[in-house]
Amino acid sequence: MTRLRQATREAILLILVGASLGFLYSAATEKGVFARQAPAGPVGGAGVATPQMISQEEVWSLYQTGSALFIDSRHDFDFRAGHIKGAVNVPLKDFELQKSPLKDVLRDRLLVIYCDGAECNSSIELAVRLAKEGFRNVRISFGGWREWVEAQHPTEKSR
Amino acid sequence: MKKLLANPHLVLLTRVFLGLLFVMSSLEKIVDPAAFAHSIENYRILPSWLPLTVATILPWLELLCGFALLFGIFLRGSALLLSTMLIVFTGAVISGVLRGLDISCGCFTLDPTAEKIGWLKVLQNSTLIVLSLFLYYSNTERFTLLSYLQKSPPADGSQS
Repeated sequence: MTRLRQATREAILLILVGASLGFLYSAATEKGVFARQAPAGPVGGAGVATPQMISQEEVWSLYQTGSALFIDSRHDFDFRAGHIKGAVNVPLKDFELQKSPLKDVLRDRLLVIYCDGAECNSSIELAVRLAKEGFRNVRISFGGWREWVEAQHPTEKSR
Repeated sequence: MKKLLANPHLVLLTRVFLGLLFVMSSLEKIVDPAAFAHSIENYRILPSWLPLTVATILPWLELLCGFALLFGIFLRGSALLLSTMLIVFTGAVISGVLRGLDISCGCFTLDPTAEKIGWLKVLQNSTLIVLSLFLYYSNTERFTLLSYLQKSPPADGSQS
């Protein structure tokens, strides 16, 4: 019992010192929690409605008509490993419109955003960000990449 | 088993192995907390505001625990903390594997092409858990900084 008590005391001290070092380092280098632009901050907010979710059938019919631009919000390594054919990669991480391939896209262009599947949030967060940037026709694929693969729709890989 | 727990060489070997492992793997994460936060985010367990905080603190804990094991300071505390962390990580990996996530572990390197999570990873982590629990229950103070300090002069016999 004394062993556990002593160990717990030591562990708590280690946690306190570790956390302090972590926060100090983060503040000093502007990495981590004190990064100037937190990559995953809360999204949404006044005046911008969350873009509409659409089902796999709707995604597929938009794909077939070729009217929408498909956007993959996953990390670039996921994108390289396989993505919806013709999609462009706009990872939510470090998203900045001016640096993204969407900077010259017309704001009324129909965009379909997807991430891994129904559980992921990056497509929703990216969609909200794009809506804030003025894109008016943003849709989110609910089933995402996984349903696309299950349905055996066209995919491609890139290096 | 008692003999093993009191074997100073075995304990030292385990300390050096775990210590080096954690020091080395923490450095990359300390340098790039954002990438580590994304590895954590990929598990989709924590709410979106937490991974960056975890990624800011956790690598430093690993570094401290690593050094603590190497020098033999706070041996029990760091062994307890490492065991707890490893158990939590392994739980996360297991839940990831069960949910069929195809993600990289983010355990010892942030390279997304290495270290995909899977049962092998679970086995590796379990071994590390056993090793750190071994250190927690070990019964020897030999080769620790403290023991050297206590042995060294002043030789006036007043050990505190």
